[in-house]
Amino acid sequence: MIRMRLDRGPAVPAAAVTFVALVLLGRQLAPYDPERPVAVPWSPPSGRLPLGADALGRDVLSRVVSGGARLLTVSLAASAAALLCGVALGLVAGWGSASVGRAVRWVCDLLLAVPALILALVLAVALPGATAVVVASVLSGAPLTARVVGARCAEVRDSGYVRSAIERGERTPTVLVRELLPAMSGLIAADAGLRLVTALQLATALAVLGLGPQPPAPDWALMLSENLPGASLNPAALLAPAVPLALTAWLPASAARAAGRRMGGAA
Amino acid sequence: MIPRALLRTVLLAVAATAVVFAATEILPGDMGDVRGAGRASAEDVARERERLGLDVPAPVRYLRWLGHLVRGELGRSLASGRPVADLLAERLPATAALVVGTLTVTVALTALALAVGFLRGGRGGALAPGLAAVPQAVYAAVLGAVLSGVLGWLPAVSLLAPGSSPWAQPRALVLPALTLALPSAAFATVLLRGALTDVLRLPHVADARTRGLPARLILRRHVAPFLLVPSVRVLALMTGWLTAGTALVETVYGYPGTGGLLVSSVAVRDVPVVQAAALIPAVIVLVGMLVADLLDTAGRHRPGRSRRMAPVATAGGAA
Amino acid sequence: MTAEGTALLEASGLTVCRAEDGSVLLDGVDLRVGPGEVLAITGASGAGKSTLLHALLDTLPAGLRRSAGTVRRRGGVVQPGADGRRWRRARCGYVGQDPAVALHPRWRVERIVGEELTGPRAERAQRVRQALELLGLDEEFARRRARELSGGQAQRVVLARALAAGPDILLLDEPTSAMDRDTARRVIEAVRARRGVPELCTVLVTHDPTLVRELADQVLRLSSPATPPLPPRALGPRVGERRSGALGAVLATRGLRVVRPDGAVLLEGADLDLVPGELTTVLGPSGSGKTSLLHALAGRRPATGGQVRLRGRALAPQAHHRRRDELRAVQLVGQHPAGELNPAHRIGRAVARPLRVLHGLDARGSAVAAAELLAAVGLTADLAGHRPHRLSGGQRQRVALARALAARPDVLLLDEPTSALDAASARVVLDLLDRLRAEGMAVLAVTHDPAVARRADQVLHLRGGWLVPHGPVDPLPTVTGRTS
Repeated sequence: MIRMRLDRGPAVPAAAVTFVALVLLGRQLAPYDPERPVAVPWSPPSGRLPLGADALGRDVLSRVVSGGARLLTVSLAASAAALLCGVALGLVAGWGSASVGRAVRWVCDLLLAVPALILALVLAVALPGATAVVVASVLSGAPLTARVVGARCAEVRDSGYVRSAIERGERTPTVLVRELLPAMSGLIAADAGLRLVTALQLATALAVLGLGPQPPAPDWALMLSENLPGASLNPAALLAPAVPLALTAWLPASAARAAGRRMGGAA
Repeated sequence: MIPRALLRTVLLAVAATAVVFAATEILPGDMGDVRGAGRASAEDVARERERLGLDVPAPVRYLRWLGHLVRGELGRSLASGRPVADLLAERLPATAALVVGTLTVTVALTALALAVGFLRGGRGGALAPGLAAVPQAVYAAVLGAVLSGVLGWLPAVSLLAPGSSPWAQPRALVLPALTLALPSAAFATVLLRGALTDVLRLPHVADARTRGLPARLILRRHVAPFLLVPSVRVLALMTGWLTAGTALVETVYGYPGTGGLLVSSVAVRDVPVVQAAALIPAVIVLVGMLVADLLDTAGRHRPGRSRRMAPVATAGGAA
Repeated sequence: MTAEGTALLEASGLTVCRAEDGSVLLDGVDLRVGPGEVLAITGASGAGKSTLLHALLDTLPAGLRRSAGTVRRRGGVVQPGADGRRWRRARCGYVGQDPAVALHPRWRVERIVGEELTGPRAERAQRVRQALELLGLDEEFARRRARELSGGQAQRVVLARALAAGPDILLLDEPTSAMDRDTARRVIEAVRARRGVPELCTVLVTHDPTLVRELADQVLRLSSPATPPLPPRALGPRVGERRSGALGAVLATRGLRVVRPDGAVLLEGADLDLVPGELTTVLGPSGSGKTSLLHALAGRRPATGGQVRLRGRALAPQAHHRRRDELRAVQLVGQHPAGELNPAHRIGRAVARPLRVLHGLDARGSAVAAAELLAAVGLTADLAGHRPHRLSGGQRQRVALARALAARPDVLLLDEPTSALDAASARVVLDLLDRLRAEGMAVLAVTHDPAVARRADQVLHLRGGWLVPHGPVDPLPTVTGRTS
C-alpha cells in the first residue's frame, strides 16, 4: 500500500508544476488578444471561437487561458507567506515552554476573531487588492498553521529520534531543521494546500467585488461577474472561467487531504 | 469558569476592534490623502486631516473611537453624511433573513452529510473538502447561470424595495442563500467529520459496539451528546463566516444588506461605515464561541477536566 | 442431541492476523464451552487472550481480521455482521479489560447498568439495584458518574451491567485486575453462581491462578512463541558478589526516585551500579516503571529525586543540560521501533549522524563506519538507502541499536532490545553485545526475554517501585497488582 503511494508520488508534483506553468504562461497560448473585441457580443461557441464571445465581443477562450496567471501568482505568494509565518510560529509554540505555547495560542485566537474575508475587505480600504489578499492570508492563515504545526511539534518533540538527537548533543536549530521539519513535512504539505485554497478564495472574492484587477484585464474571477448577465445568451462564457477556477481550488484541497491521510497512516 | 469565558470574549472583541481599526486607519493612504487626492495642495490636505481628527496619534484615535463605539455612537458616513447606525439598521433585517435562511439549509445539509459519514463508519468523504475549497463566486456564477439564466426559475437580481420585509419576497432569498449554503455546508462537514471521527474513537463507543447496540442507538445515546459542543462551535463559526460571505453574494445579486454596504463603502473608502459593518461578523463569531464555551462548561460537571475536544477551527478556509 | 450440539459456545480454527503485514496473532484456536461451564483462558501477556475474546464476538479492532475459523452458538454458526451484532446484544455479556474508560462519561451508574434493560421503570431500577448489590456497590454508587469510580469499582459496574441483562454467554477479561481480595471474592461468587446452570456459560481471561483454581471447569492456555516463561537460570547468588564491585561502576544511581505526573511512584530509592563489561537486566511487570528508569538515566524524562553519576561525577537530570561527552557516554535505545527513527531520514544517514556529530567523521568516513555498524547488527548494506517505513519492526530496532552504538557509548541502555526480533537475529544482537562488553561497555537492558536475562551478570527485579535482586520469587507473582 505505502509503496504504491510513494511510487505514484512524483507524478503529483509533476502534474502540479505542469498545471501551474500552463496557467502562468497561458497568455502566450491565447489565439486572440484577450482585451480586444473580435466578434458580436455574446456570440455562442462556434468553430472560430470555441467558447464564444463575452459582453464586449472578446474571445472567451483567449480570456480564459490568460485569466489565471495573476490570480494564481497572488494566491501562491499569499499562501507561501502565511505558511512561512505559521510554521515559524508553530515551531516556537511547540518547542518552547508551555507558557510560550499558551502565548502563541492566545495571539492566534486574537487574530482568528475576525473572519478572513472581512479582514481582506477592511485591508482593501488602504491597500491594493493583491496586497490586501497577502496580508489577510497571513493574518488569518498563519494562526491556523501555527496551531497545527505547534500541536504536532509538541508530539514529535518527545519521539525517540528527536530525543536521541538531543542525547547526542545536537543543537536546537539543528534538531528543529534536521529532525522536526522533515518529520512534519507531510503535515506542512497538507497545510500548504489549505493555505493556498484560502488565499485563492480571498483573491477570487476581492476580484469579483471589483477590488482586484480592473477591466479590461482578463481574470477568471472578474469574468464570473462580467459574464453573469449573459448567462442565458452564452453560458459557456460563464462556465469557462468557473471550471478552471474550481479545479485550481479543488486540486490543492484534495492533495492536502491525501497528504494528511498519508501522514495519519504513518504516525 | 463563566466569568473567565466572558472576560475572554470581551478581550477578543477588543482585539477584533483593534485589528479593524489598525487595518483601516494606520495603514498608508488615510482619508485625508484620499479626499484631497490630486486636486488639493499640501495645506488643504493638512486642514482636512485636522478636521477629521487624523493629526492625533493613532492609539489616541483608537481609544477615542472605541469609546464612541461602546456608547453606540458609530459616527457618520463620509460619503452620504448619514449616521452609520441608520445605514446599518436599514439593511440589517435583510442580511439577518439571508443568514437565517442560509443557516437552515447549511444545518440540514451538514446533518445529512454527517449521518452518511457515520453510517459509513467515519470513512470516506473526499467530496466535502473539495466542495468547500471551491470559491463562493463559482457557486454564485454556476447557480445563477443555471437557476436563473438557463432555467429561468428565479430572479437573477434579488432587489428588495427599501424598508420592505425580506420575507415578503422569499424567492429573492433563494439564490443568495443557496450560494452561501453549499460551500458552508461542505466546510462545516469537513470540520465536524473530524469531531465525529474523534467521538467514534472514544472507548465507550467501541464498548457499545462490542455489546451489539444497533447503529441508531449508538448514534443517539453514545455519539450525538458528544457532538453538541463541537457543533455549536462550528455553528458559531459558520454564522460569522456566512455573515462575512454576504458581502460577496449581496454584491453579486444586488441584495440590499449590510454585506453589500460594506463592499460599496470599501470601494469609496468610507471608513466609519467599513469599521462598523466589519465588526458585525466578528461579534457574531465571538458571541457564538462564548455560547459554545458556556455549553462546554455546563456539560463538564466538574471543572479542570482534560479537554477532549480540541477547537475545531483548524482546517482553514475563508467564507 | 449430539455432544457437538450441546456446546453453548464453540469456536474452531479461529485465526486472527494483522491486516497490515499478515502476521498471525492467533493460530487456529479451538474452544468449546458446554452448558454451565466456565472456561478460563490463560497465557503470557501478548499471547492474544483479549484478541481471542474479540474474535469470538466478531468485534476485532480495525487493523486485525479473522482470516479463518468459525464461531458457533448452540451449534449454529454466528455470521459476522448484523447477525453477530444481534447475537451479542441479546445473548452475550462482555466485561473488557479497561472498563473505567469504556463507561459513558456523562451517565450515572444506574443509567449505565440499566441501559439495555426493558420493562417498567420500577422493575428495571430494581434489577439494577440487585446487580449492584450483588457486587457490593450500594445505593450511593448508583448516583455516581464514571469518573467518580475507581478502576475496581468500574469493573464491578460493568460486570453488574452484564449480569443484570442475564446473558447466556458471559465473557470476562481480567475481571478482578483492579480489585482487592475481598472485592474479588464477590466477583468470584457471582461467577460461581452461574456454574452448573445449563443455559449459561462463562469465558474468563485471567492471569490470576486463584480465579482459575476456584472457577474454571476447563483451562485454555494460549502460548506465543515470542514470550516464553521467565528465565530458567536464576542468578540470585551472584547478585551479592556484584554489590561489592560497585566501586568500579561507570554509571551509578543513588536514591533515584521517579514519580509520574499523576503522582504515582514508579521508582523509589533505587541504587544501581553498572560496571564496565557487564550486562545488567531489569525484569518487572509492564507498567512498573522499567522504561522510566532508563529515561531517568538518559535524561529523557528527569528523575524526581536522587542522583545519577557517571564515573563518580553527578549528571544533570536533563539531557540538554549535560555536556556533549557525557551525552556520548550514555546512549539509549528506546522500546518502540516505529518512533525511534525519523521517518524522513534514510537509514545510512541516521546511523552516520552520531559519528559526524560526536566523532567528527566526514561524510565518506561516517558512511563507511555506518555500513560496518549495520553489518554488525546483522543488516544488509542495501538497507542503508531505505527510509524506515520500508523496514520491519525488527530491522528498525537493530538500526536504532546501530545508531546508539555509533556514538561509541560507555553505557548502553536498552529497552526491550529483542522484542521485535526473531530468535536468530536476537542471537546476532546478543553476541554483538557480548563482544562490546568484552571491550568494556556496560549494558543495562530492560527485558521480558529470558535469552537476554540468561546472559546477564546481574538480574534485578522492579516490583512495587523497588529495585530488588532477582532471587527466589513467589511462585505466583501478583502480576496485576499495581494498577492505579
